[in-house]
Formats: sequence, C-alpha cells, structure tokens
Amino acid sequence: MRVFLILFSALLINNYVFIRFLGICPFLGVSKKLDTAVGMGFAATFVLVMSSVITWFVNKLLVAAGLEFLRTVSFILVIATFVQFVEFVIKKNSPSLYEALGIYLPLITTNCIILGVAILNAQAKYSLLEAIFHALGAGLGFLLALVIFAGIRERIELYELPKPFEGLPIALILASIISMAFMGFQGLIKL
Amino acid sequence: MLIVYSTLLMAILGFAFGTFLAYSAKKFEVKEDPRVEMVKAALPGANCGACGYAGCEAFAKAVVAGKVTPDMCTPGRASGVAEKIKEILKQNAPS
Repeated sequence: MRVFLILFSALLINNYVFIRFLGICPFLGVSKKLDTAVGMGFAATFVLVMSSVITWFVNKLLVAAGLEFLRTVSFILVIATFVQFVEFVIKKNSPSLYEALGIYLPLITTNCIILGVAILNAQAKYSLLEAIFHALGAGLGFLLALVIFAGIRERIELYELPKPFEGLPIALILASIISMAFMGFQGLIKL
Repeated sequence: MLIVYSTLLMAILGFAFGTFLAYSAKKFEVKEDPRVEMVKAALPGANCGACGYAGCEAFAKAVVAGKVTPDMCTPGRASGVAEKIKEILKQNAPS
C-alpha cells in the first residue's frame, strides 16, 4: 500500500516538473510536438527506473564502505551509462525519434529529476521496491507533464498571439498556470 | 586508506559500466555510410556551426546525402577541405 502512496505522491502531488520544478530544460525543449514528447517521457522513465535500481545497490555499497561522499559522482556515472544505452537502442530501433530528440537525448544525463530521485531515494532510505515505485512515479509524472504541455502547445501554435508572447514566453506562462492547477493536489495524501 | 577504497570503487564501477556499454554498442550497432566517417575525418572538427548544421557530423551527413555543397565549411576553407571532400566523394561514389 505504501508503495502506491509513494507512486502517486511522485506522480501527482509532488509532480517533479510542476511542484518541485526539476527537469525544466527538456520539459520546455521537447514539448513542441506530442510524439517526441511521448518518446522523451518514456526514455526518461526507463532511465529513471533502471538507474534507481542500480543506484540503490551502489548506495548500499557506499554506505557499507563509509564513502557516502561519492554519491553524486557514482550516481552520475550510473545515469550516464543508462542514457548512453538508451541512445544506442533508440538510434537502432527508431532513427526518426533519434533525429527528433536530437541534443535532448544525451541531455537526459543532466536531467535533474533523475539525479534528484536517486539522491532522494538514498536520503529517505527507501527499500528497493519503494525506490522503484518512486522512480516510476517520477517518470510517469514527467511523461504526464510533457504530454499535457505538448498538447496545449500544439494547439496554441494555431492562434495568433501578440508578438511579444510568441514562442517561449507563452510557454512559460502556460507552465505556470498548469503548475497552479497541480497545486490543487496538495494535501490529497498525507505521507 | 579512504583514498585507496574510493579510487578502487570508482575504478570497478567505471570498468563494469564501460564493459556493459562496449557490449551494447556492438549489439545495437547501426550501419552507417562509411563515407560519412571519411568526410568527418577530413573536416576541421571544430563543431563551430558556421555551415548551419549542429556540428561536423551533421554537416558530413548532409554532404554525403547531397543536401549541401562541400564548400560550406568556413574554417576549413584555407586548408582546402572542400577539395578533399570532393575527392573523397568522387573516389567512393556508389556504383
């Protein structure tokens, strides 16, 4: 039961994009089209879940050896490995998605959500199952944020906006409004 | 002692992930046009973007695909990169 609380807490109530404001760079970068947004969301979710499993074991190792100060370095190493792996797979299986994601695919490495989840897992001393559900919730929350935002942005493209608001400014305003909407989930679950 | 342990641990981790990546790179290898690699080697490799592409690799791909003429590389103009690329494309033209 607790794992589902963690899942929904990371997905909705503490949505990493809209409430914790992590991972804003890919959120604004790849949300222009719905299909690239979905691809990005799933790639990030995969990296999140895999890296949180490995970092859980790495963290156990670090704590046992008394080397907690190596957390950030070794977690980045794990994350970079999985991002590179995802890049290989996408390049092989879906060249069009590879082209569409472009620089944002290797930039998953520096996506703060992934390092953030790994470090929060370590700090909250989650069990392996809880860590996996936390990462899954964070990844699905990121996917949800991207899909909602890409859908709105695709539609807003069709309207004639005042010149100063075209492009990124209106995107930032929209993001703030969705963020306010997500604040409505606050207090839904007490963890 | 702490330094020895941390160095050892990072070395083991790096080696393990490096092996995993080398294996998956072979497994998921994508066959690319060998001319792209040759053109890329002839370019200055500054990734300056003066040609209008995201980097030397993107420019090399575009040249091989025939989307752009080889003389768009500004930093390579003095050392005759355009001629080298034309030579590569002529010698390795697909029959």
